[in-house]
Amino acid sequence: MDIKDIMFSQAAIKEIEEIRAKYPTARAALLPALYVAQREFGWLSPEAYEAVSEILGVPKAIARGVGTFYAMYKNRPMGRNVVQLCTNVSCMILGAERLVDFLKNKYGLEPGGTTPDNRFSLVIMECIGACGTAPAMLINDDFYENLTEKYIDEILEKYR
Amino acid sequence: MITVNINGKEIKLEKAVTVLEAARSAGIKIPTLCWHEQLEKYGGCRLCLVEVEKMPRLQTACTLMVTDGMAVRTETEAIADVRRGILEFLLINHPLDCPYCDKAGECELQDLVEKYGPTTGRFKEKKRRVTENLQDPVIVRNMERCVMCTRCVRMCEGVQGASAIGVIDRGGHSHIEPFSGNRYNCEYCGNCVSVCPVGAIMSRLHRHSYRPWQVKENIETVCPYCAVGCTVIAQVRDDVIKRVVPRIGSPVNNGMLCSRGRFGYEFVGDPERLTSPMVRKNGVLEETTWEEAIGLVAKKLAEIKDRNGGDAIAGIASPRCTNEDNYVFQKFMRAVIGTNNIDSTARMGYAGAQAFIENIFGQGATGNIISGLSNSDTVLVAGGDPTTINPILGLQIRACSRKGGNVLTIGHVRGLRNFSPVELTPGGGRETALLERIVSELVSRKGLPGSNTILESRIKTVVDAAGAGKADVSEKDYPDFIGKLTASGTPAVVIGKDLLQSAGSGYKLFLLCAINYLINGRLYLLSDHANEQGMLDMGCAPDLLPGYRPVGYAEFRKRYENAWKTKISERPGLNIFEMIEAAGKGDLKAMYVMGENTVFNLPDGANVEASMRKLEFLVVQDLFLTETARLADVVLPALGWGEKDGTFTNMERRIQRVRKTVNRAGMEDWRIIAEISKNMSFGMNYAGSEAVFEEITKISPLHRDLTYDEIAAGNVIYPYKGEPLRGAVGEIPLNKPETASDGKITLGIDRVLFHSGTLSRKSPALVKMYSESVARMDPGTAGALSLKDGDMVRISSKSHSIELRLSVDGEVEPSVVLVPNIFEGKGALSLAGNILDPVLKAPAVCATEVTVESVGKVSS
Repeated sequence: MDIKDIMFSQAAIKEIEEIRAKYPTARAALLPALYVAQREFGWLSPEAYEAVSEILGVPKAIARGVGTFYAMYKNRPMGRNVVQLCTNVSCMILGAERLVDFLKNKYGLEPGGTTPDNRFSLVIMECIGACGTAPAMLINDDFYENLTEKYIDEILEKYR
Repeated sequence: MITVNINGKEIKLEKAVTVLEAARSAGIKIPTLCWHEQLEKYGGCRLCLVEVEKMPRLQTACTLMVTDGMAVRTETEAIADVRRGILEFLLINHPLDCPYCDKAGECELQDLVEKYGPTTGRFKEKKRRVTENLQDPVIVRNMERCVMCTRCVRMCEGVQGASAIGVIDRGGHSHIEPFSGNRYNCEYCGNCVSVCPVGAIMSRLHRHSYRPWQVKENIETVCPYCAVGCTVIAQVRDDVIKRVVPRIGSPVNNGMLCSRGRFGYEFVGDPERLTSPMVRKNGVLEETTWEEAIGLVAKKLAEIKDRNGGDAIAGIASPRCTNEDNYVFQKFMRAVIGTNNIDSTARMGYAGAQAFIENIFGQGATGNIISGLSNSDTVLVAGGDPTTINPILGLQIRACSRKGGNVLTIGHVRGLRNFSPVELTPGGGRETALLERIVSELVSRKGLPGSNTILESRIKTVVDAAGAGKADVSEKDYPDFIGKLTASGTPAVVIGKDLLQSAGSGYKLFLLCAINYLINGRLYLLSDHANEQGMLDMGCAPDLLPGYRPVGYAEFRKRYENAWKTKISERPGLNIFEMIEAAGKGDLKAMYVMGENTVFNLPDGANVEASMRKLEFLVVQDLFLTETARLADVVLPALGWGEKDGTFTNMERRIQRVRKTVNRAGMEDWRIIAEISKNMSFGMNYAGSEAVFEEITKISPLHRDLTYDEIAAGNVIYPYKGEPLRGAVGEIPLNKPETASDGKITLGIDRVLFHSGTLSRKSPALVKMYSESVARMDPGTAGALSLKDGDMVRISSKSHSIELRLSVDGEVEPSVVLVPNIFEGKGALSLAGNILDPVLKAPAVCATEVTVESVGKVSS
């Protein structure tokens, strides 16, 4: 068995192969292919890198170099839902740091940590371009702005 | 013509180069850190910043191309300021542990700081701390010292082509790491160690054992492992080889080395090395004096010669010994013993294949220049992985691919998988039919060139035969493969030993020669021993005298008889397989084995051992008490590589000097033989190896008039003009094999990058890289036998069985079990049968049918 068959669903392998076909070189397809892997497993494990590298024919050390460079690839296990909260200047001024405390106190969610039930992980991230509607956060691929403690309660309800 | 002005000096240049190269050509030194002459330009370290008139900012000299009229200044106060600043930044994190660091003394950062750097730093916070990584047995990484020049990554990816390491993480956290984060599990070429300017990536072999300035001598010699013949520099302190490094600009390897070459030198000082001669007394080998051992050998050989004739004695020469050793050995057998019974393991494919090829194309057809491969537009690889057998040659194929050339392979070649190969994987049974189809298709697409009528008549026979050209080519790569092969302009054909040791090897080799002829290619015959070519040149073959003169012609013999002042037998001797057979039958009474482990390196070792046990008298001359030496009546310890002078001839026929690096008591192989010869009343008086070489140059038509001084630079490739030395070009025998039966599992030899066998298993670093022989099988074949990865399996052939751990590996072809021939008692060749190809006279090792069964899982 190849590692890619162990790691990926046939649909995911096909998706990566289709991504590959859109680019002139295999390396160019690395970023979107790594996103597929991250979507499938929640994070980029060594096996996930190996599997992507096998499908694309890109050396695995190169794949890992790319995946560890960009902040939005996760190189350690994540909870089912990844909360990415901005604490950069605008968000900070409008109370993001209070929201960090709120998540810690109410949900037991430490920055960089995961809840014991594996429901949420919290990642403090840099600016996501929502300065006019700060504070802002991402949950998985969904975007939320004008955050308040009450609003966060409502949002988190949607993610189990 | 471009004229530039650097520091007020007018420099005229033929073509546009970088400012850095232009400055260097005029002897102006610009400091660099990330720049390295073997690597792609990078422009990362900013130390080579220079001022260019009419350009607003400082420019990196390593990336800026010169233009006509450019005026550059390389040393101004503004530049010095910037350099000081850059170095101050680097020293924020670089520890000042120079007193402890092995690199001190040859550290580029140390030199730069000493020359350009600040004497104090202003940074008040703590330095980055990273623990030294000692997880790898061979390479140690100290990422505190890393200056992120990425030379190692560019070397690994862009030159070596292994892409095993990368820059991990970002900014201040970035560091260099192999994929696993710990062990490298890479090709272990160590070329990253070569290019690291600081002490961040270093070899563990000499860790904390010496300082670069304590090296008494840098001795340039030739690597003892494969037939590429890389130049290596042995750095010696207190009679111990501390380190082996390459030299940039050397003729074959130009600054590159492989795992064996760089890390495989420790056998030189191995404690198990034989130091004293041994003689069997009451069934036990006991240490004795040289006088007694040599006297006994001389007495017994003379006795047997008198009683049974010289032809009752045979000699086996060594592709690991120097030309001088082999020359004196064959001279001893021919002139003193009076027999042509001399052969070697080159009979396992190389000798027969080379003779066959040169019979078709003329002398030297396989002596093409290795570096030329990278300039080919197409390289066809068949029958083996060049990147493991001859790694530095393999690099040239990778370079060819990188330059846009086509790599075509017959069979999956693991070492080329990332180099966009066009692969055909016919499997053993369909290989012949596929090659026939390629020949037929090339003939119909390109026609016959008309320059070699004998060959063309044979090609016609193949093309016209029923069935030829009808092979199943359903593989999707076939149209691409044949298209690229047909369109190639400067092709090369690389042939490995797996093909020469398969069923029907002679016929397959003919078909490859036909392909080569039809595309007008250059041939490369891979060889895994340092002096396999030279040994054959020296006449260590039953039918050929030094320089390939056939022994059967009185006119040729006369030259040698006059020189040696004796008669030479006109009867060709026994080849190595016939010797073993004759020993088994009792026809052969004595054997003299020089530097060869016949029991391990010939097929069916059990039979070889049983046959050799029947000999009345066996002499083995070697470095270690090998499986073969343990059978001997007399064991003679010889000086090995690194301990003696001489010459090796590589696969290009480049004659190179091998030099003594450490002093050891003892005698070279040739000197031991000369001593025995004297005891048998045949004077062989040579002052040293140079005197032996001088005799060779007087007698061999290929080496005429060469001197040690001339070959010192490594640029002498012995002359050939396509003239047939071995006899007239005549028949090209064709012997089409039976189609192989399907469904059976056959043996394959796994050629492991880290090992050559006898020498490598005594090199601890190489053993750490690969410490246990593992059998490899593809998932389908293993699954059908209910075998799982990690199982202990028993592999049995008609003659023998061995137990190994199994690795299930998708890169192995179906119905084959690959077994390496490295460690004692676990050798693939012990399983192999002794069926010889009728044309090449090489054993069809890879056609051996075996069974594989589980003997239970072992917990590791």
